[in-house]
Amino acid sequence: MTVFSPRIRGVLKLVIPFALIPSLVILGAVVFEGQRYLIISLGIAVLSIVLFMAGVERRNIGSRRMVITAIMTALAVFGRFIPVFKPITAICVMTAVYLGAEAGFMTGAFSVLISNIYFGQGPWTPFQMLGFGLIGLIAGYLSEILLKNKALLLIYGAVSGVAYSFIMDIWTVLWYSGGFDWGLYSAALLSALPFTVLYAVSNIAFLLLLSKPVGNKLKRIKIKYGV
Amino acid sequence: MKRFSDLNPIATAVYYMCVLGITMFSMQPLMLCISLVTSILTCVYDRSVKVKGHIFTAVLFLIAAVINPLFVHNGVTVLFYLNDNPFTLEALVYGIVAAGMIAAALYWLRSMSAALSSDKIMYIFGRFSPKIALIISMSLRYIGLFKERFRKIQNTQRALGLYDDGNLIDALRGRARVLSILITWTLENGIVTAESMEARGYMSGRRTSYAPYRIHMADISFIALSLALTAIAIIGLRNTQTVFYPDMRFELFTPWGIAGAAAFALLCLLPIIINIKEAVKWRLLISKA
Repeated sequence: MTVFSPRIRGVLKLVIPFALIPSLVILGAVVFEGQRYLIISLGIAVLSIVLFMAGVERRNIGSRRMVITAIMTALAVFGRFIPVFKPITAICVMTAVYLGAEAGFMTGAFSVLISNIYFGQGPWTPFQMLGFGLIGLIAGYLSEILLKNKALLLIYGAVSGVAYSFIMDIWTVLWYSGGFDWGLYSAALLSALPFTVLYAVSNIAFLLLLSKPVGNKLKRIKIKYGV
Repeated sequence: MKRFSDLNPIATAVYYMCVLGITMFSMQPLMLCISLVTSILTCVYDRSVKVKGHIFTAVLFLIAAVINPLFVHNGVTVLFYLNDNPFTLEALVYGIVAAGMIAAALYWLRSMSAALSSDKIMYIFGRFSPKIALIISMSLRYIGLFKERFRKIQNTQRALGLYDDGNLIDALRGRARVLSILITWTLENGIVTAESMEARGYMSGRRTSYAPYRIHMADISFIALSLALTAIAIIGLRNTQTVFYPDMRFELFTPWGIAGAAAFALLCLLPIIINIKEAVKWRLLISKA
């Protein structure tokens, strides 16, 4: 299942997260008016697995990295039960930085899909999957800089909190008025401001707390087993 | 027929997709009224929403209803002016209908979350892609494992005298150490899991998935009934007219409109009807001797 040529892998790595999945999410919201969200979430899940496999360079790494990613996903879901402050972004970023951008995307998308079994699935699920997936993916692309400079890591956490809010409010407007409207969008952004600040603050706090201990453990696993 | 919760998860999912589809697709007051009332009835009946949930939805309803007239100024009937912006009756009615849609959809989604537990969701996903089912089941397993191991490590630390609940800082420090051990243990253990999976032939062929549910006649007839009622409701929707801007015009009670509304009401009440029917049957069949 990982016999891809490097060129096909490279194409998949770009096309899936930036073209296929966003168009699927928008299509689901606009054409089906959000009513097929379970199928859309499923499509995103399948695509994120393909993306994950495209990120695996050697065959024998695949199942190890998958189990480790599943563990990090479970950790993110576990952390979503903490009241008010959620470490989900921090865990996605840590996974992406150490295990690769594609693993980060999968952690983000699946932790939303799984935790929403407890917190409620809905037409917002595809947007949340895309949001957290992209946060992980981009962190993976920037992994070299983020590993070297802790201040940049914290800034990335804060920025991703704000960006997440921007993505989710597109959904709010689409659902509420059936089309996109800049006035309603800015109103939604304004009313979500306390949450945006909360996201940013909790991302910084958890990255500050987790980056060293969890980072060391992931680094150790990576060196010891070549994940 | 079986109880509603005993139906095949696919039948349950199809049912909720039908109800949610009509609720979120139609901006039509009559249908949304039916949907809102029946969704509240369903949630009260299956106890999936607590008092806090009702209050949250009510507040959300009020906010959503008022936001539209504050930002949209279409419509001919001006009620009053707010900072030189007209506050129109049409925008207010649209806001109330949209808020009703959101509240009804939230109630249905809560009811669905209660009806489709994690094993059922996994079964549905597993039918489409065994690989997704594997990752989901693995993650769900680790959540349970985390809880169990957390307790084990905590007990060990306590027995070693390393764990002190006395003051807040010590308690937090202890908790952080337990969490750290937990992550190390689970990650190391995950590698063993992966090796073991490969040794047993993972990645060597197509995956299949274990299915604990079977599709019975009752499930098929339930799906057919839901789809038929949905079709009638959609025809009914097509034969009504709902215009908000610039001037409100509702034609809801055409013959097809009434038939569609009746079909939709029946569809929405199906879970309650099935459960009550089964409860009555159970009463009648209990041996009186």
